[in-house]
Formats: sequence, C-alpha cells, structure tokens
Amino acid sequence: MKLLEKASRIYLLASLLIYAGVGIAFYWIINFMIYDEVESRLMVEKQDFETYIRANDTWSNNSYFVENKIEVVPVFGKFDNRAVFTDTLISNRYDETADPFRQLTFYTLIGGSPYRVAIRKSMIESYKLIEAISAAMIAFLGLLLVSTFLFHRILSGKLWKPFYDSLARIKDFDWTKNKPLETVRSEITEFNELGDVMEKMASKMQHDYRSLREFTENASHEIQTPLALINARVEQFIQSKDLGENHTYWIEEIYHAARRMSRLNQGLLLLAKIENQQFTEQEELDLSELALNKLKDFEDILQHKQITLSLHSTGSFRKIMSPALADILLNNLINNAIRHNYNGGELRLESGIDYVQVSNTGNPLKSDPERLFERFKKESTGAESLGLGLAIVKQICDNCELRISYRYEEPIHTIKITG
Amino acid sequence: MKILVVEDEKGLAESITDYLSREGFVCEVANTFWQADEKISLYQYDCTIVDLTLPDGNGFDIIQTLKKIAAATGIIIISARNTLEDKLKGLEIGSDDYMTKPFHLSELNARVKSLIRRRNFGGNNDMTWKDIRVNLPARKVFIKDNETTLSKKEYDLLLYFLSNIDVALTKESIAEHLWGDNMDSADSLDMVYSHIKNLRRKIVEKGGKDYIQSIYGIGYKFTAP
Repeated sequence: MKLLEKASRIYLLASLLIYAGVGIAFYWIINFMIYDEVESRLMVEKQDFETYIRANDTWSNNSYFVENKIEVVPVFGKFDNRAVFTDTLISNRYDETADPFRQLTFYTLIGGSPYRVAIRKSMIESYKLIEAISAAMIAFLGLLLVSTFLFHRILSGKLWKPFYDSLARIKDFDWTKNKPLETVRSEITEFNELGDVMEKMASKMQHDYRSLREFTENASHEIQTPLALINARVEQFIQSKDLGENHTYWIEEIYHAARRMSRLNQGLLLLAKIENQQFTEQEELDLSELALNKLKDFEDILQHKQITLSLHSTGSFRKIMSPALADILLNNLINNAIRHNYNGGELRLESGIDYVQVSNTGNPLKSDPERLFERFKKESTGAESLGLGLAIVKQICDNCELRISYRYEEPIHTIKITG
Repeated sequence: MKILVVEDEKGLAESITDYLSREGFVCEVANTFWQADEKISLYQYDCTIVDLTLPDGNGFDIIQTLKKIAAATGIIIISARNTLEDKLKGLEIGSDDYMTKPFHLSELNARVKSLIRRRNFGGNNDMTWKDIRVNLPARKVFIKDNETTLSKKEYDLLLYFLSNIDVALTKESIAEHLWGDNMDSADSLDMVYSHIKNLRRKIVEKGGKDYIQSIYGIGYKFTAP
C-alpha cells in the first residue's frame, strides 16, 4: 500500500470516528438544552397554576387547546407527592398521529381534596428544531470531512512529491555507470537530508565498485605477470641440451602448475567480473546460430574423438546479452560436452525459440547433480580440468536472467539453457 | 632486424630478449614509458613489443606515438588484460597483434617473424629450410621440390616449427598455437601427437629427413638430425 493511500485511509477513519463523536455529543447537548427550556417553562406554569388555585380554589377541566393543556384528575388512596417529568405521546385529534409531549405531573389540593395535575407541552417544534440542527450538522461535518480529506490528499501529494521524484531517480540509479545520483532538492529538510545520505551512499557504491573493478584488473595483471615470467623461464630452460629425465619431469610439473594457476586465476577473475556486472555491453544475439558457429572451432577435436554431431533446430533463440558472455557461455558448454564425452560418443545441439541445449554421451555423474554447477566441482580428476567451466556458465545464466537445468537419461547428459 | 621490447617486468623483458636474440634479432629493452618514448623517437625498429600496463604510463600512448612517427614498425601488444575491449582497442589504434600473458615465447617468436615477413615482403615470399620450401601465398609445401599435401593444421604446425628451428617446443604451446587457448584438455595434447605423427610421415614420404625430434616429457624440437 502506498504511503499516501495509507495516510488517507487512517485520516478518513479517524475523522469519521471523531466527527461521529462530535455529532452525537452535539445532539445530546441540543437535546438537553431543549428539554431544559421546556421543563423550566412547565415549572413556571406549575407556579401559575398553583397561584390560580390558591386564589380561586377551583379548576374546570374545560380548556380546549392541546397546547398548555392542563389535566386535573382527583386521586384516591395513597400517592407519592412528587413532581415528575415524563415523555408522553398524545394522539392528535385530527389525523390520528401521536404527538410527543413533555409532561409535568404533580399533586395538589383543590377544595380540600387531592388532585393529580398534569401540565403538558408539545415537543413537535422542538423535535423539528433538533432534526434541522442535526441535518445541518451532518451536512456541514460531511462537507468538512470531504474537503479536509481532499485538501490533505493534495497537500500530501505536493509535500511528498520531491520524495517520490528522488525515489524514482534512486530506482534508476546504476552504480556501474559513472553518472552520480542526484536527488531532488526541496524546502523540506528531512527530504534533503535523506537525499544527502542517499547521494553519499551512491557515490560510495560507485567508488567501491570502481575500486573493486580496478582491483580485479590489477590483480589479474599482478598475478599473470609473474606467471608469464615462470612460463618464459621454463621455456628458456628447456632449451638447454643437457637435461636429464628427472629434470624434464620436474620442469614439466612446474610448467603445468604455472599454466594451471594462470587458468585458475583467469577463471576466478572472470567469475568476479561477471558477478560485478562488468560486462555491460548488450546486443541482440541469436544463441542458436552462435552455438553452431562455435562448434566449428571444435571440429578437429570432434573428429579426433570420433564424436557424432547431431543438430536439431526448431527456431532461433534470440536474447539480448553481452556478446562476450554469450561466447564464453557456449564455449564452456560445448567444451564440457566434449571433455566428458567418450571416444565415438555423441554430441547433440538442439535449439528452439526459447532454449538452447547441449547433450552428450558420458559416464554417469559420480557426485550429486545438484552440485554440478558449483565451483571446483570436478568430475574428472584430470589435471586439465579446473572445475570452473560450469560454474562460469551458471554465473552467466544468473546474470543474464537465463535458467539452466541439467538432466540425465542414461547415457545422455543434457544441459538446457532457457530464456 | 631490430626489436624494441617495452616491458616493466625486468625478468620477462630479459627472457624475451634472450629468446629473440637467439633467433638473430637485435633487441633493446625499455622498462618504463619514458624510456620507450625516448627510444622510439631516436631509433627505428622493425617490430615493437609493448606491454600495456607500465608504471609511468599507458602502452596505448606509445603505440599512438609510434604510429605517427614510424608507421612501418610492426606492433605486438603483450598484456595481462584479456578483455575484448582492450583487444579491440589495441587493434583499432594500429597494433598488429595482441597476446595475453602468460604467453609462450615460441608463440611470440613465431608471431614476430610472421609480422616481419608480412611487413617486408607483403607475404610474397618463400620460406626455405634445408630441403623444405614453403610457398606462403599459395600455402604449398615442397620437400626436395616434391609437393606434399598437408592439412590446414599440419601446415600451421610446419610453419610454427619453421619459425622455431632448433627450439624445444612444449606440447601445450603447440596445442595453443593450433587451437587457441579456449580448448584446453588432455584431448588437445593427443591431437598434437597425431598431427606430429602425420606431418613427420608426410615429410619422410617425400624424401625428407625426420626433422621432428621428441623431447621426453616436454614436447618436440624441429632440428637437423
């Protein structure tokens, strides 16, 4: 839920509760005031009545009008001599409706005998007044609610605009590029502070990314150079005429180890570069076609291992990605399919509109297929295998939003790349 | 033939000059950017081998200067950087070749020779050694004036040997020369073996001597028996 929506909802709910409370309280107050007014008038009339009785000591129940109707009824037996206010309904003599009255009942002596006297006042007008006031109240409160709600929304929208603009820029921010993050400045200190912090973080990220990138490149250089020296020295050394069998064995070992180390270094650097997303160049590529071309590089070895090649294509798998990564991806896949193949085996390249897959005959995996794409997971114990090939493939897939899956149906291993 | 080696790693520069001197080249070394800058403005070289990362400058700048003042000089970049961008940039500003460290000296030697051949003769020349003659433009090989038909890889292999006469070549450097470094497996060493066997047979068949000498554990040497 968006911040503005959430705030609006809370605001609306709170306003409704408060306004309802205020409305009810107001209603009660008005009601109370009106009753108070009517009752004080009734009390005055009671006094008038008593004054009249004291003067005349008689009462005739013949008043015609409903208003100010005074009803005098003789009472017999016991009674509780108290003045009591009650609400009562009296039927209208014309249209059979019951009209509300406030009634004051009290007891008095007329001509020596006790009478119960009820003085009434119609509440019709008062009720109408309450209704009118309530309706006006509801209307005004409603209007107030709607207008403050709208005002709040518009105001919040305005106030938060710099925040949302900055958010959009932060979302667009790419730390692999050199362009610094610029948040939107506004009058609001907190947003400016947030912007400052974000800009600082962004420039730190860019800086770290650059130094990491430089580090990987420098590390490559620093490690490759001494390795190049070892290689060169070994090559010079093997030119000497008087090498014994032992010597050549040791030299070969040194040479192999240095080469291996160099390849390992290159592989790990490549992984780091992919992880750091240093391959930013993008192009639309036809992976099926690239794979076919790639196979040509392997013609000799396919022939040498007498591997039968079969191709099957139902469409071209187009994908926007770095050409360098696509090349490495396919190279490693095919290389893997050849390395773990046996002589006279089979290699199948299949592609469709959203996938490319390489299958090869080979011995069943000795280890867990789940861990096939892990680094340094080697199937063969051959010194030539580094155990990085498929890890690199996996890393490239992860970075280019490709899915990779492995399947084994004896004796065919299949690695499928799906877009 | 004069060659300038611009490389800050002294040991590596020494190895390169030693190796190339044995092949008859006159080599000079520049360990820094400024030394290199001075040397290229004072002397003429047939070929310059440039490392891109120098302590006091960038190899690309040397190449650009070189292109301005001595366009005929062949340029080979040797660099630890193996990104495609660097390779493309190197070729764009006029270098002739790009080698990634670590490389084989024999490979460097072969490339220097091929570069100088192309520069001096426009590729229009024969390569002759003992009773082997290679007509480079036509890619034809004659043993004692008898033409022998070689496969593409056998031809490449022979040229590689002819560029490195009397030099012990490792199996790995041969494999890398023939198939590049993206196919590194035990199989490629097997393939080297079978190509060597075929080449040896084809040379001997046409009356040549067995020039390919195996060096136990290491590789092969092309030499007069």
